[in-house]
Amino acid sequence: MPQFFLNKRLIVLLISIIVLVALIGFSLRERSKLSWPEQFLKDTAGLVQSLVSKPAHLVAGFFENLQDLQNTYEENKELKSRMEKLVSLEAQVQELKKDNKELRDILGEEETLRDFEPLQATVIGRNPDRWHEMIIINKGKTNGIKKNMAVVTAHGLIGKVKTVNQFSSTVQLLSAMDPKNRISAIVQGETNVFGLVEGYDKEKKALLIKAIPSGVEIKKGQNVITSGLGGVFPQGLPIGKVIDVKPDQYGLNQTALVEPGANFYDLENIIVITRSMAQPNEADMGEGKEEEDL
Amino acid sequence: MKKFLLPLLFLILFLLESIFVQYIPPEVFGKNYILAPHFLFGGILFLTIYAGRKYGIIYGAIFGLLFDIVWIEIIGIYFFLFPLIAYLISKIMHVLQTNIIVAFLVSLVGIALLELGVYEMDFLIHITTLEFKSFITMRFYPSLILNAVFLLIAAYPLKRHFESFVESLRDE
Repeated sequence: MPQFFLNKRLIVLLISIIVLVALIGFSLRERSKLSWPEQFLKDTAGLVQSLVSKPAHLVAGFFENLQDLQNTYEENKELKSRMEKLVSLEAQVQELKKDNKELRDILGEEETLRDFEPLQATVIGRNPDRWHEMIIINKGKTNGIKKNMAVVTAHGLIGKVKTVNQFSSTVQLLSAMDPKNRISAIVQGETNVFGLVEGYDKEKKALLIKAIPSGVEIKKGQNVITSGLGGVFPQGLPIGKVIDVKPDQYGLNQTALVEPGANFYDLENIIVITRSMAQPNEADMGEGKEEEDL
Repeated sequence: MKKFLLPLLFLILFLLESIFVQYIPPEVFGKNYILAPHFLFGGILFLTIYAGRKYGIIYGAIFGLLFDIVWIEIIGIYFFLFPLIAYLISKIMHVLQTNIIVAFLVSLVGIALLELGVYEMDFLIHITTLEFKSFITMRFYPSLILNAVFLLIAAYPLKRHFESFVESLRDE
């Protein structure tokens, strides 16, 4: 036995395993914000990254422009054909907007779940380890970003703010595996169907929308948007399109596979969404801790 | 001046990984392979082989911690694995001759160990539910090939740099 304790390397290994478990346990527990040394380090790293990412964006943008030039002609043709439809659509939207406003005035409801304020941000880094799908953006607490805000691109939802530092923040993408990462969603159709975005199928590259009742019929190609019922996200942010539906493990629910509208790669400029309508107080929502559905 | 060159080199590798991932297309050669760069760790392994175990473990620990805090937000995974694998590699190098081809192959073994170690840890704490088989075909082999290409390009400059670093230490 004394020989066992004399083996210095074994002791070091054992101690470091204990420290490892303790550190992982410390960082895995529910943290509302990071400790200040972590925030300081992340902000410093963010500063360096934003310096480096600017020339990198420029170079990448140059090559992208070259690629775009190649198929300009075909794109132009397609866009022209779409333009004609757009004019009539615009008139329709205008009319509906006016209608909607009048009706709202009659009802006396001013704020809706749909109202939000956009906040532009630039991606300055991405997690190279690729298990935890996260990006770092150049706006932080000083710009008014808070935890759990929705993050979108022009094509749809890409994720939510995971942690906030003073001058930078971390965004967790929808493609990240995190059981706490749930988003309340609507599958649009003749009747709206509610479900929860829960997880990502890496092999099929599709989001999984679970907890859809088994009686409801869902077709391919239906649009999926956020419902705004979770408390933080506004209503109506596009998520993607249904590509497949399959029954759940026990046949009680269905799971819809949704192809995300936004590309999770090659992100450069993103928009952080601040919902205008206040979030309900946790105390008002009943007793007990509820699951975090966004 | 020369003292700052080494941390600066690793800092560049640290940032290079992120930039690489940011601009990599989602589909490589028509398949959705996941290419994970380990340029930083490749550099640390070369440091271990050419400048000695002490430097490898110290740099492994510092940059592992930095990596965990800045990218992963779970402290411990790389903080533990970087120095551990650097130590194992230095043990292996006791048996083998130090030449550039051996260093290249041993570094690849180290990167493979890192990939497997991180996969096992992430699987344990439910960060991933990817099956082992899909992990091997989707991520493990493509990443190894990517890092082999990087090491092929960087092996000689890294070797030269670390050797001159060791010499400058001896002169002092």
